[in-house]
Amino acid sequence: MSPASEADNAEESKEGASSLLDLPELALECILEKLPPDGLLSMSGVCTALRDRCRSDYFWDKHMKQKWGRVIGPSAYKVWQLCLASRRDNGDSNQGKQKGLLRLFSLVWPCSWAGEKINIGQDQTCSLPHDSSVMSWYIALETGRFWFPAQVYNRENGHAGFMLSCYDAELSYDFRTDAFRARYPPHGRRAIALETGVTWERLRSPPVDTSPHDLHLSDCLKDLCPGDHVEIQWRRNKEFPYDAVVLEFNQYSAGSRWSRTTIDRRNHREEGNEADGFYGGIRKLRTDDDEISVWKRLWPTELLE
Amino acid sequence: MSSSSSSSSPSCPKKMITLKSSDGETFEIEEIAALQSKTLESMIDENCASTPVPLPNITGKILAKVVEYCTKHAEVGADAESLRAWDAEFVSVDHPTLFDYILAANFLEIPTLLNLACQSVADMVKGKTPDEIHKIFNIKSTFTPEEEEELRRENQWAFD
Repeated sequence: MSPASEADNAEESKEGASSLLDLPELALECILEKLPPDGLLSMSGVCTALRDRCRSDYFWDKHMKQKWGRVIGPSAYKVWQLCLASRRDNGDSNQGKQKGLLRLFSLVWPCSWAGEKINIGQDQTCSLPHDSSVMSWYIALETGRFWFPAQVYNRENGHAGFMLSCYDAELSYDFRTDAFRARYPPHGRRAIALETGVTWERLRSPPVDTSPHDLHLSDCLKDLCPGDHVEIQWRRNKEFPYDAVVLEFNQYSAGSRWSRTTIDRRNHREEGNEADGFYGGIRKLRTDDDEISVWKRLWPTELLE
Repeated sequence: MSSSSSSSSPSCPKKMITLKSSDGETFEIEEIAALQSKTLESMIDENCASTPVPLPNITGKILAKVVEYCTKHAEVGADAESLRAWDAEFVSVDHPTLFDYILAANFLEIPTLLNLACQSVADMVKGKTPDEIHKIFNIKSTFTPEEEEELRRENQWAFD
């Protein structure tokens, strides 16, 4: 059966518009604007004219912002760009697609992950789409094919050692459960940890643009006053990446060695030792959005030692 | 206060304008209702609406409904809930009629009607697969068999 031409579709309607495609551009746009993402996706599979319209960034920017705006930031965007570049480099063959996917992961996490066996998911023949449209990105996120960098509060959900913390991780969405799989980089003697069922409220996009391996330059020290809320980067020893950990000192009982640490405002550099870990950069929390209330929600119910 | 259609005092008769459809039917509409159409509004402002306004793109059948819509929406004191219900009833029509409403609303520049009718079409599309959309709107696929296969493969996850 040969495909119909655009003329065939237009000829159906001699009077009025019995075809959707006869509607004025403004009206068609008005309809497409009101569709949810899966509606747009369906429409793009109907015919070439609709596909071309439905793929427009104009419609997908809105959906992207609405669903993913809070957890997808500049670092995720950089990873996506790398992904596309890698895809282009590998060409369009099926084998190319598979290799491209594996090469992408080693490209993005060169230090620690290159040797790990990567579980791509049930559908081994599926690949990441190769165009730079917002639609491709949205689909890559929605299907979980794209693992993006973000931070997870209270890693491993309630594990005592990680309370009031926020760890860098790679996340992949599971649209069936509306939750995420999180992969944490290796940490000391811990291998790569995987956590499933991570819910939306435990995620955020990394607030600063530094990689977890770099010290965040504290630019807020002059402005700190008693009662301000801060986050502090912390890492176990010099070989491993920083994790952002809040030391809101009040959560520890008064006698605990964790309750206080002094910081020299003029010369704050990394301080600490192998036993207790190193304190790195300090970031003042913004009061104008709900950063502080998110941390407050995670406050442990009992004092920690 | 009890009447739903008139807000003018007895000494000022309601100002009406006449519209003429493509098939020669004429319809009277209160000026105040006609103001919902930006096209008619500018004609009224420029005093071009004293003789019947010809609308060669709109049939009598559709124009009657458009007049009904504008008149209803010009009513004072209608509560939002019942208006919504009335609107829902208004667009419970087949899709060719919906498209005619869209064309008329587009030509006459009636944003509320355009929005209502477009939302209705969008609602028809929601939750449907491409095949179902082909059938509902009688659109033929223009993809090559290879493109069809690729589409099916890439988007399988959404339609499982």
